[in-house]
Amino acid sequence: MSKPVKILLKLLLVALGLFAVTFTVYILNLDMKLTAAIEPFLQKHYDTIERNRHL
Amino acid sequence: MRDLKHLIFFEDLLQEANNRLIQQAQQEGDVCVAYVCENTPEPLLNLPGTFSTRLRAPRTGSMEIGTYYLTSFLCEYTRALLERAVEGGYNFADCIITPDGCSMMNRCVENMELLKALGAGKDKFFFEYMEIPMKSDDNGLNLYKLQCTNHILNPLRDNYGIDVSDAAIRRAVAEHNRVCELIRAIGDFRKEEKPRITGYEFHVITLATYVAPKRMLIPLLEETLEELKTREPDPVNPFRARVMVVGSEVDDIDFIKLVENSGAFVCADRFCYGSLPGRDPIVLNDEEDALTQICRAYMERGQCPRYMNTAKMDARRTYVNAMAKEYGADGIIYEQMKFCDPWAYEKMLGSHILREEFGYPVLAVDRPYAIASSGQMRTRVQAFVESIEIKTIQRGGNNG
Amino acid sequence: MAKEIGADRLGDLYIDGGKVRRRREWRGLADTMYDYSRWLGIMATLGKFVMKPRNVKAMFRYRWMANYLAVPMMVDRHTQGLRGEYLRICHEEQDLVIKDVAKLLDSLFRGDRRIGNDTEFSKKVVLVDENEMTAVMMGFPTLKCLSRETPSTYVSVLLNQHAAEHYIDVAQEFGLAGDVCPMPEAEAGVSIDDDAPVLGACAIQCNTTCDGSLLGNGVISRRLEKEDGIPVFQLAAPLRHREDDVQEYAAQEIRNAIAFIEKHTGVKWDWKAYFECARRVNYATRCRQEWLEMNRTPWPQVFGSNLALYTETNYMAICGKVPEFERADRRITKLARQAYEKRKMAAKEYRHRAIVWGVQSHFYMDFLVWLLNCWGIVPLTDMLSMVSTRELKEEDTPENRETAIYDMAWLTENMIMRNRTHGGYRVLLDELWEFTQQFNADMVILWEHMSCKALTGMHGMFEDRARDLGIHLVWVDHDLFDPRIISRQGVRDQINNYMRTVMREEPLDPSLEVLHDEESW
Repeated sequence: MSKPVKILLKLLLVALGLFAVTFTVYILNLDMKLTAAIEPFLQKHYDTIERNRHL
Repeated sequence: MRDLKHLIFFEDLLQEANNRLIQQAQQEGDVCVAYVCENTPEPLLNLPGTFSTRLRAPRTGSMEIGTYYLTSFLCEYTRALLERAVEGGYNFADCIITPDGCSMMNRCVENMELLKALGAGKDKFFFEYMEIPMKSDDNGLNLYKLQCTNHILNPLRDNYGIDVSDAAIRRAVAEHNRVCELIRAIGDFRKEEKPRITGYEFHVITLATYVAPKRMLIPLLEETLEELKTREPDPVNPFRARVMVVGSEVDDIDFIKLVENSGAFVCADRFCYGSLPGRDPIVLNDEEDALTQICRAYMERGQCPRYMNTAKMDARRTYVNAMAKEYGADGIIYEQMKFCDPWAYEKMLGSHILREEFGYPVLAVDRPYAIASSGQMRTRVQAFVESIEIKTIQRGGNNG
Repeated sequence: MAKEIGADRLGDLYIDGGKVRRRREWRGLADTMYDYSRWLGIMATLGKFVMKPRNVKAMFRYRWMANYLAVPMMVDRHTQGLRGEYLRICHEEQDLVIKDVAKLLDSLFRGDRRIGNDTEFSKKVVLVDENEMTAVMMGFPTLKCLSRETPSTYVSVLLNQHAAEHYIDVAQEFGLAGDVCPMPEAEAGVSIDDDAPVLGACAIQCNTTCDGSLLGNGVISRRLEKEDGIPVFQLAAPLRHREDDVQEYAAQEIRNAIAFIEKHTGVKWDWKAYFECARRVNYATRCRQEWLEMNRTPWPQVFGSNLALYTETNYMAICGKVPEFERADRRITKLARQAYEKRKMAAKEYRHRAIVWGVQSHFYMDFLVWLLNCWGIVPLTDMLSMVSTRELKEEDTPENRETAIYDMAWLTENMIMRNRTHGGYRVLLDELWEFTQQFNADMVILWEHMSCKALTGMHGMFEDRARDLGIHLVWVDHDLFDPRIISRQGVRDQINNYMRTVMREEPLDPSLEVLHDEESW
C-alpha cells in the first residue's frame, strides 16, 4: 500500500472514530446529561458570590 | 371637636356617583364630563357649561360582572367601575374622557364602550381616549396640548357646542383655582400640632370637589373655611403619630378613617383623589395661551409613576419628602391598590428611598378598593404607630 | 424510531422528573444525520465561546449563565417531531439565533467592567432594553447595540423554565408585589441582585412593552445612572399607536434618542447604513408575508415557534442590522416554497387550524410544536408574529430621511406583542377575528398571561365574541416566566381537557399528553 493511501486510511479511521464518539454523545444525549450533572455545582457556587444587593 | 356644619352634606355627596349636585347641574343644562384619571387636566373638563366628575363606585358589593369581563387580575377600582357602569350607575354622564394611562383603566373604559354601558339614550354621548406624555419635557408638552385639543376640547365643542376658547379656559381655571385655594387653606389646618380638622374630614371635603360641580361647592367650602378658623381642637390630641399617605387612588373614605382610628393622624394626602398636587392652583400668565400653561402645570407637577424620565422619578420622592416636612409627618404610609402595576413599583422604590435616604419610618401596604373595617390593616397601622412612638422616644433618649 | 412523522412516541424520550431527555430523536437516516451535523455546529459555536477565558470567568460570575448549559436541549425541544424542510427551517433559525446570542454575550463580557473591562470597546456600546425595537440603532453601524436583559432573562427562560425564579424572588424580597408581570420583575431582580454586566457609553430604555416595562426600567436606570455612571435616555413610544396625532411625538422621541446617542458616543448617524438596514427590514417583512400567505392555505410551512421565535428575534432585536438574517430569510423562504410545492405536512394529521393569540408562556415556547405533535393542532400564526407590515423607505433622499424618522417611530411603537396589547381594543380584539377568517382557522388558542393586565382586561369580550362567532376558544393560563404558578403540564392540561371534553378527541400521540417535566430544562 502506498504512503498516501496509508495516510488516507489512517485519517479515515480517525474520522470514523470521531464520528462514532460524537454520534454516540449526540444520540444518547450525553452532552446534556453531563451539563445537567454540572449545573447544581454551579448554582452552589453562585450562592457564595458576594453581591452588592440593593434597589 | 364640634362637627363641621357641612360635613354630612359632603359625605352625602359621596354616597352615590350620581349625587344631588350633579343632578341639579344637569337640570340647569350643564354637560357632565366623566373621567377616571388625574392626568386628564381638570380645568378643561370644567369649562362654562360643563362640569367634571371623577368616577367612583361607592358602596360596591359584588363585582362579579366586572370580574367576568376584566378578570380578578385587574385592580378592584377598575372592576368596581365597570360593575357600576354595567348596572347603569353612570348613565347620567354625557361623555367620558380617559387617558391611556394605565392599561387597566384603559381596558375598563374600553369595556364600558364595547358593552355600551354608558350613554344609553344619549345621542351626543362620546368616549374619548387620550395619549398622555410619559416624560416631562418639550415633546411631552406638545403632545399633551394636541391630545387635549383633539380629545377634550374639540369633542366638547363639536358635540355639545361648548365654548373652548382661551377666555373660556381661563374662566375654568379661575374657578378651579378658587376651589384649590379653599382646599389648600382648609388643608393647612392639618399642619397644626393640635389640628382643627382630621384627615378623614379633609378627605371627604377634597373628594367632594372631584365628584361634584365645583361652582356649587365653592360657597360651602368658603363657609367651612370660616368655621375652621374658630373651631376649637380637642384639648387632648387623640392621635399618637402624624403620617403622610402616599400612593394610588384612594376614593374610599373608610381607608383614611381606619388609619386615623388606629392612632395615626393623616396630615398629608399624596394620592390620586387627594389634594397633593391635585389641588395646587394653576397660576396663569397673559403671555402664553391657557391650554399650554395648564398642560405644562399638569405635566410638571404630575406625580403619577408612569412619568418615567429620571428627573421625574427622583422628583416624586423628593416631593414626598418636601410635603412630609411641610405637614410635619412623623412617618409615611405608602399604599397601593392591589394589582396596581405602576404603584407596585413606585411603592417598592419610594418606600425604600424615603426610609433609607430620607430617614422616615415607612409602612408599605396594599389594599382592596373598599377597605371596610379590615382588621389586618388596622393591626398594621397600629404597629406602625407604635414603632414611630418608640423611635421618637429613642431619639429623645439619645438626645439626653 | 422512524423516518415517518408521527410514527414515534415522542413522550418516551422524557425521563419522569428528569432534567434532560433519555436520548435524542431518530428521524430516519437523512434527517438524523442532518440534525447531528447541526448539533456539531452548535457545539462548535459553544466551544468557540468558552475558549475565551473571559467568557469562562463570566460563566462563574453570572448565575444566569448556567442556563446556557442547556442550549442544545432548547434546539431539541423546538425540533421535536420535525422532519425535512421543517427541521431545516428550524435549524436555520435557531442556529443563527444561537450564534447571534453567543456574539452578544461575548461583546457584553468584553466590555463588562467586572470581566473583560475593555474600556475602549465599552465606549462604543449602547445598552438597549430587551423589550425594545432597536430601530433607533439602525444608523449607527460602528456602535454595538447590546441588551443585558436579553441573555440574562429572556433567552435564559427559553433555555431553562426555572431560569427567572431566583430573580423574581429577589424582586419580591425587596417589596415588589407578586402580581406584576414576571418579565420586568425578573429584569429588575437581576439589577437588584447585582447580576448584570456593567458597561456602555449610554443606555436607551423604552416604555415598551407595557406599564411593567416602563416601571421596571426605573429600578434598572437607578443603578445604571447613579451607581454605574451610565447616562440613560428613556424613549417614549406612545400607546395609541394607530392614531395619527401621536406620530409626531413618537418621531421627536426618535430624533431626541439619536441626538442623545450621538452626544454620548461621539458617533454621528449614518443614513447610508440606515437605508441598508431598512432594505433588509423590508425584505424580512416580504418574506414573513409570503410565509403567512402560505399559512392561509391548507399547507402551512413556517409556523409555530419556527415563526414566532424567529420573528421576535429578526423583527425586534435585529431590525435589519445583521446581514446574516437576510440570508437566513432567503434560505427559509426557499425551503418553505419547496415544501409548499410538494404539499408537505409537518405532522401526520392536521385536525385543527389555530390562531395562537395572547402573550406566550415563555417558559414553554415549544408548546406550539407540542400542539402539533400531540393533538394535530396547527398553530398557523400567533399574536407575536402579526407585526407591522409597513414597508420602510429604502432610498436615501432628503424627503425619505424625514419619512425615515417616522418609520423608525412606527417600528418602535409597533414593537412585538405591544402592537396588539396596546393601541386600543381594535388591534387586540377585533383583528383577532379578522385573522381567524383570513387563515381559515377553526380554533383560537388564547394564551392568558395572568399578569398581563392589558390582555386579561379583555377576557370577557374575547369570550363573548368567540361565542357569537362560534369559534372554539381555548384558554391557556400561565405566568410567562414563572412555571411555579402554572407548570408546563398545567399548560398542557388546559388543552388536554378541552380536546377531550369539548372536542371529544383522542391525541395523535398519547405519550405526549402527560409529561412529568417539572424539573426539566
